[in-house]
Amino acid sequence: MSLTDLDLERYSRQLVLPEWSGAAQSKLKEASVMVVGAGALGSPVLTYLVGAGVGRIGVVDSDSVELSNLPRQPLHFTPDLGANKAESVMAKLALMNPDVIVEPYPARLGRMNAEAMLMGADLVVDCSDSFATRYTVNDTCCAMGVPLVEGGVLGFDGLVMAIKPGESACYRCAFPVEPEEGSVPSCREAGVLGPVAGIVGSMQALEALKLLTGAVPPLLDGFVQIDARTYEHTIVSTSRRPDCSACARVPAATQSH
Amino acid sequence: MSAETLDLTGVLCPLNWVKAKLALEELDPGEELTLLLDPGEPLDSVPRSAREDGHEVRVDGTRVTIVKRG
Repeated sequence: MSLTDLDLERYSRQLVLPEWSGAAQSKLKEASVMVVGAGALGSPVLTYLVGAGVGRIGVVDSDSVELSNLPRQPLHFTPDLGANKAESVMAKLALMNPDVIVEPYPARLGRMNAEAMLMGADLVVDCSDSFATRYTVNDTCCAMGVPLVEGGVLGFDGLVMAIKPGESACYRCAFPVEPEEGSVPSCREAGVLGPVAGIVGSMQALEALKLLTGAVPPLLDGFVQIDARTYEHTIVSTSRRPDCSACARVPAATQSH
Repeated sequence: MSAETLDLTGVLCPLNWVKAKLALEELDPGEELTLLLDPGEPLDSVPRSAREDGHEVRVDGTRVTIVKRG
């Protein structure tokens, strides 16, 4: 897809990067991304993907904006209280970059509808807040062969992982045992600080841009774990499990990216 | 051999380099792109950016010729 003069001006600061190119920018413009969750991780992810010029972005979230969301979910403003989160972010993102098509899906993603919701996406970014959703998104992306960026934050700890089903370890390869509902504290119980989610969400956006453009190799077959107290981070290597129930039988993704 | 000329006078930094870079993407290695640049910042920056990206650069006044790297 050709770039207009306004595109060149808007995206000039990324186009001048030696790693970037007109071809990379065109790939973004042609891409369709689904973001699951428009909260603390979704806010930075959506901000940077819309900012960078991804062509079409779908946002899935069934929740409404609550007062306690506002400190860490900067795409929601006080007047949005009570509004659906996907609808709330769409309004801001349309102002941020009118060239991007943002489609809100005010619904809850579950086992029954995941495939239908994620159908057609070139990439999925999981910004959900529950393990059940995370495993559902992982398993669905694996079954469909769609690249995925996982991310999670709890307290001061964060995790980011890029996944190319059939080529690299999936979330279930790295964490084969799904935690039982309630065994891991949710962010409501454990607490979370806005900038920590901002860091993790920004890293997810970066991995998404790497996967979409190929400009820089993404973090595959491993995940980065960061302790935001000290900024100590570790890249934990993982590999595909031959018996993984999600991805063992998936052929390598057919997508060029 | 292509001998494309791109008039970038009046185009500010870094948009001039963005346009040159995208034009270079269309060329084969060894092909040349000639730019017409404004003196001052453009004439300082664009040849430098091209060299940093590994291309060979010849400057003749405000006429800058870039040979696409292999």
